[in-house]
Amino acid sequence: MQNNHHKEHLYKILVIGDLGVGKTSIIKRYVHHNFSPNYRATIGVDFALKVLNWDQETVRLQLWDIAGQERFGNMTRVYYREAMGAFIVFDVTRPASFEAVTKWKEDLDSKLTLANGKHVATVLLANKCDQGRDVLTNNGIKMEQFCQENGFVGWYETSAKENINIDEAANCLVKHIIASEKDMLQSEVPDTITPQLEKDKGGTCSSCFRAQ
Amino acid sequence: MWPEPLLQSSPVTAEDDNGPTDRLSAGLKAPCPGMKLRSSPRSVHRRRGAAARFVSAERRRQELRREETFIFYVSDRKCACCGRWGEMERTDDGSSATVRNPASSADVITGGQQVTCSGEGEDITCAHHCNPEGPIRSCSDVTETGDHHGAGLNITDDVTSTSHTDRTSSCSDSKASRTEGSKVNPRHELDGLCGDGAMASDSGSQDRDVTFDLSEVGSDDEEAFVREELRAGQSTPPTTATPRSSNTFECGRRQSAPSKLGQDDGGGLGSELQSRRPGIVEYFSSRKQRSVSHCVPGWKLFGKVPPRQSPSKQARIIQQEFEARSSPTHHAMGQQSRRKVEFEPLSTTALILEDRPPNLPAKSADEAQRHRQQYEQMVAGAKRRELKEAQRRQQQREERFRQEEVIANATLVWNQNILPHWDSMKSSRRARDLWWGGLPPSVRGRVWSLAIGNELNVTAELYEIFLSRAREKRRELSETESVDAASLSDRESSLELITRDISRTFPSLCVFQKGGPYHDLLQSILGAYACHRPDVGYVQGMSSIAAVLILNMDEIEAFVSFSNLMNRPCQLAFYRVDHQLMFKYFGAFQVFLEETLPRLFLYFQSLGLTPDLYLMDWILSLYTKPLPLDVACRVWDVFFRDGEEFLFRTALGILRLYQDVLLHMDLISIAQFLSHLPDEELLSDRLFTCISATPMLSGNRKWSQVLSSCRDSERSGS
Repeated sequence: MQNNHHKEHLYKILVIGDLGVGKTSIIKRYVHHNFSPNYRATIGVDFALKVLNWDQETVRLQLWDIAGQERFGNMTRVYYREAMGAFIVFDVTRPASFEAVTKWKEDLDSKLTLANGKHVATVLLANKCDQGRDVLTNNGIKMEQFCQENGFVGWYETSAKENINIDEAANCLVKHIIASEKDMLQSEVPDTITPQLEKDKGGTCSSCFRAQ
Repeated sequence: MWPEPLLQSSPVTAEDDNGPTDRLSAGLKAPCPGMKLRSSPRSVHRRRGAAARFVSAERRRQELRREETFIFYVSDRKCACCGRWGEMERTDDGSSATVRNPASSADVITGGQQVTCSGEGEDITCAHHCNPEGPIRSCSDVTETGDHHGAGLNITDDVTSTSHTDRTSSCSDSKASRTEGSKVNPRHELDGLCGDGAMASDSGSQDRDVTFDLSEVGSDDEEAFVREELRAGQSTPPTTATPRSSNTFECGRRQSAPSKLGQDDGGGLGSELQSRRPGIVEYFSSRKQRSVSHCVPGWKLFGKVPPRQSPSKQARIIQQEFEARSSPTHHAMGQQSRRKVEFEPLSTTALILEDRPPNLPAKSADEAQRHRQQYEQMVAGAKRRELKEAQRRQQQREERFRQEEVIANATLVWNQNILPHWDSMKSSRRARDLWWGGLPPSVRGRVWSLAIGNELNVTAELYEIFLSRAREKRRELSETESVDAASLSDRESSLELITRDISRTFPSLCVFQKGGPYHDLLQSILGAYACHRPDVGYVQGMSSIAAVLILNMDEIEAFVSFSNLMNRPCQLAFYRVDHQLMFKYFGAFQVFLEETLPRLFLYFQSLGLTPDLYLMDWILSLYTKPLPLDVACRVWDVFFRDGEEFLFRTALGILRLYQDVLLHMDLISIAQFLSHLPDEELLSDRLFTCISATPMLSGNRKWSQVLSSCRDSERSGS
């Protein structure tokens, strides 16, 4: 019975970034554990689902693979709705794609805020790190600074091809999503609490809640 | 008869003697090493060599004095029947066969010929149905066809022997086929044969006496052979002892096929050959019958067949046959070799009805009977499966032929009746019906091009102009790329996007990627279009459209069709990502979805799955992304016939086709499923069945009416 009360989290995660930086590849690597140099261009949006075990809870990640071409921006922005986290991806071999990162981040923040008014947790991925390193990403301190300035919760050099850091980046994002979710719940509590709810809450364990 | 212990203690072990093949075949049938040795002709050879050491010179001299020698034997893994199954031709009467061995210069013809053997004073004829001649490795190879199969149907065996002799070569080559009794002096018609080292047996009905003169035998191998004979003689003295008159030769090989073999082995090669077609059951039933006599182990030299020999050969034959023919069916039913006759059951199995080894108690009659029955059941089952499989393949083939014929006929009609009179014929019932079934690939490009038309009056000159402009821009881009690549985003960077996308256009076809035959062509068309219509530019999805056109048309035609296609209202709305217009299309689609698939419509609504999540992808890629290319092309066919409404009708058809599956999925799974539909057998036909079951009518309203009402309501709403 207790299993039934296992908490299941469902998080919608956006994967955005310039065209051809490897968003689909990262998702395929993460979800299907494979890589092909020949993914076709994403038109509109693609989807993938990843299920994780997280502290004995099940975490389901809905990955929304958003087309990178700016033309689709107007269209795909509606897909930002209700996302809990995001990866912004750039290609270390193409500086232009890094310059677009701030644009993507601003776009994301302007379209999407959490219930507590904060921005969604966003992790920056410097993809294709197997193909050579951008000068920028060589400078860890600079990158940290960039992340702080732009509100990223972290950054990773990744390679979908060589399977580098993909899982780590995802774990980092999930960690922050869970933290911000708790934060949200706490900040919501004062507004929504009622004596009854308080009472129920007292019995922390969800099965107690059921029993009553 | 050979004393069993001698054989088993022979210095030659199964290991070095028998190649893997031997071991395999022997092992299959006879688990005990002793049997294996006996069963392998090659090992016999080796043993001879080894045995020679023990034979006194005196004995040898005696032997050499004998007037005749026979020659024979080739024991080799390439043994006639075993090695060459595939090339064996069955003759009409089924009792004789010619084996053609490409590696050998000799064709051996057997059958019907009688050879008198002097061995034991009895005439032995071995029926050779087939004389396989191994490759001529050494000239001293002698093939005695009887030895393997030795299966005479009558008591007199017809023997065909092939020999080629060469003094200088010794038979000791372990890899080559073994030859024994290397020196042959043929007195008769064998001259020619000896010369070539190939032996052609005489033609069937005529009897021949062949005499070999032993006195000339000089090779080591011969010595060895003789010694071995002597040893054998110890246990079966009469076998070799008596000298013979000329005109006889001794059939003195263990492997040679004596009368006994003929009797015992009634099935023999002939029956094996026969069994190829009717199946192996008969073969095994014939084996069954002779099994009793096999219980006596032993060897015979010169004229007597070792009873054990033939079973072992059979085992080999069976094994090889099994490997060559049945294993595909047995292990992997689906992978039967194509060249096999379609309806011939390819039955056979690794199971061989075999007596137990002599050191074990024999099967009881009951048990043997039971095993036989079980075996027959298995064989029958295998046969049934094969038959089924063959029928299935046959059906597939017929279906393919039928389709090819339909396509050929359609091509003819298109080329002769419709295309020459396009304007008058394009709306005819006949053309439309033919069109619905899919355009033949050979006329597809032509029909598409005509159906798309050229409203924009795009000309080859125009294309050249925009092409050169695109090249210029590309050059500029490569010069300035490093400077301000970021500022080039927007429309200007279309050219860069094109480059990036071309490499991922139908990657599985490998024709559009860099270095592929169509890479430059695709780049040219997309680049020229981006310059031709900067208001549209390049949008992802276009590369697939242009690629499909390129696959069906030449360059100019493809560009003309592409730019005109992109200029259609629906395409323009989607490629410009014109929000409002797109949502009108989606709205109209929803009306039809609710009408035709109400359950799915409600389910999608409950999930919050809006049509843009799948339709955008489908329309922008014109179904090249979700559907396999061939199915997408068929959708295009009718799209060019019926216009944009067919794109949405196809969408409804897809949803109808998978409705039951979709009703049990969650949002993400549905979205995933719809963006990459499963590539199934007959998808095209099934999809088109669903599409034709989906008329584009909402109440009395047609697609265009619904669409314009959506536009109107939008207008009045805003």
